[in-house]
Amino acid sequence: MSYRPKILAAPLFVVSLIVLATHASFVQAASAPYPRRIVSLAPSVTETLFTLGFGNRIVGVTTYCDYPAEARKLPKIGGFTNPSLEAIVGQRPDLVIGVNESSHPVKVREMERLGIKVALISVTSLNDILNSIQSIARWLGNPEAGEKLAQKIARQIDAVKKRVAPAPRRATLLAVGIKPLVAVGGKNFIDELITLAGGENIAGQAAQPWLNLPDEYVIAKAPRVIIEAGMGAEREQSAKRWQDLKSIPAVQEQRVYYYRSDKILRPGPRIGEGLEEIARLVHPECFAESQRGLNPGSGCEGPRP
Amino acid sequence: MKVLDRKKMIWVNGALLILLALSVIACALLGPVRLDLARAWQNIFAANPDAEILFRARLPRVLLGVAIGGGMAACGVVLQALLGNPLACPQMLGVSGGASLGGILGLIFFPHWLLPIAGGLLGEISWVPLAAFLGALLSMIFVYRFSLFHGRLHPYHLLLSGVIFNAFIAAVIMFLNSIVDFYQAQGLLFWLMGSLSTRAYLTVAFIWAYIIIGFLWLWAKGLSLNLITVGEEAAMQLGVETAALQRQIFVASSLMIGAMVSVSGMIGFVGLMVPHVMRLIVGGDHRLLLPASFLAGGIFLCWADTLARVLLAPAELPVGIVTAFFGGPFFLYLLYREGGKKPAL
Repeated sequence: MSYRPKILAAPLFVVSLIVLATHASFVQAASAPYPRRIVSLAPSVTETLFTLGFGNRIVGVTTYCDYPAEARKLPKIGGFTNPSLEAIVGQRPDLVIGVNESSHPVKVREMERLGIKVALISVTSLNDILNSIQSIARWLGNPEAGEKLAQKIARQIDAVKKRVAPAPRRATLLAVGIKPLVAVGGKNFIDELITLAGGENIAGQAAQPWLNLPDEYVIAKAPRVIIEAGMGAEREQSAKRWQDLKSIPAVQEQRVYYYRSDKILRPGPRIGEGLEEIARLVHPECFAESQRGLNPGSGCEGPRP
Repeated sequence: MKVLDRKKMIWVNGALLILLALSVIACALLGPVRLDLARAWQNIFAANPDAEILFRARLPRVLLGVAIGGGMAACGVVLQALLGNPLACPQMLGVSGGASLGGILGLIFFPHWLLPIAGGLLGEISWVPLAAFLGALLSMIFVYRFSLFHGRLHPYHLLLSGVIFNAFIAAVIMFLNSIVDFYQAQGLLFWLMGSLSTRAYLTVAFIWAYIIIGFLWLWAKGLSLNLITVGEEAAMQLGVETAALQRQIFVASSLMIGAMVSVSGMIGFVGLMVPHVMRLIVGGDHRLLLPASFLAGGIFLCWADTLARVLLAPAELPVGIVTAFFGGPFFLYLLYREGGKKPAL
């Protein structure tokens, strides 16, 4: 009788060992050494790595990785959507970090076949971005740094939220392309940023994260703020481009901005600063008051000063 | 050569013209957003959203679509005759590639500068189409030089040099696309896909004038084009100066294509398909085929662009997708129905 449990215990022990082993190799157990040679497949990943203090472990970045300045000096492994497999393998990385939405599945499989560990993060929503920062920190053995950074961004978000809270929502168009007009749609972290900044994305209901909008849709949706975050132009040009559509409140109230910023467009650790930049464009009045030492946000409800 | 049937000419073109007019009106009234027509008319020049949707966002765009569709179809007709090849289309001449490259360079180096017309009195237009047109002119001269065979334009050489020139240009464009920054690359790709989106009546008027002049000139050569399709030698024996005619047609259609690609990018399929469809319907006499194709091309692109605006609303589809998606099966159906009755060209 007393023998029986032992018989059961042996296979149970083996099974649990197998489970542990497979699981451990998947998420990398604490006993295994943390990755020391990392290739980043996206500018946002590169920024995250540097901000978390892992800049010295990066052995390869994309040609678009330009922040912080040190990133420019690192070996290039190709573009954002078309990295070179050879260049990646040549760096002998022990971890490649890419972005789910833009990584080529075939290339990822190919890398895995060559024995390279590939980790993909998701950046569709603001939550995804915060989670992926923490995941990266965990993978590299410093979960506290990830938590701290995520908390810092969360605080920045809260601060902006508080500032614009009293202000009415402003219909906003955020365009990344001008001819043809390409706007931020739904299912995109920038759509969330617009909402948090006290705006309302006029293309927010769209199923696509980026979409080509016809002019008539913009006229019908009557945005009160237009932000052109796309390729080259000056503020004056942006205003001129819209001046024939006088029915649009943003044109009447001179709230057409040319504002190009990687902080807004990149789903990385500077996203909290990006949010403040959008908020300053959507609700400048909420930020103007505090400079004069008045209650922050007190001027939000009224018309523009 | 059969004598031109005047009754048929008037009937076909009259019917198509009415259809075109109705299409323009319908397409200006249809779109992804609701339009209150009564309110649009109330105060056209004030800040009136309905008026702006109708007169700023839709009408110039519909009119541009008609001009581009008609121009592409007319160019397709003459190129298929000139090159004696049923696959000939405006995208094949090398000019479109040159225009694209010019436009891309414009987008990279002076993305959205505006050029004031008559000191700003007539408004401002973008530099990009001008750069594209310059690219078209240069590539036209280039392709022409390389298509000369014993001192005269040779259709076979023209076809090959055009195709190869375009392939080369496509490589240059992809190269440029991979060295510019990420968001710029997206912009370039969208530009390359082509769009009829415009609010500038000035551009529309310019393109219309350009295309009408080119079209009338080509139409006047209709009889000679008929003779050329019979055979170059036969045409020469019948008194057509084929060498001069080929040269003139090449230059005229190149200029038209260059201007069209400059403002709307590469909108494919209209110039290839509409001529074949109209040939199946009205026959191969270029004096009738040319105007009929012009009108049909205008109708087709006008509707294709409206579908592009509506199908995935609020997102706008690249119009080239719509032209190929709906034009392709229709063309195959016509080919199947007509199979055996008469040759396609």
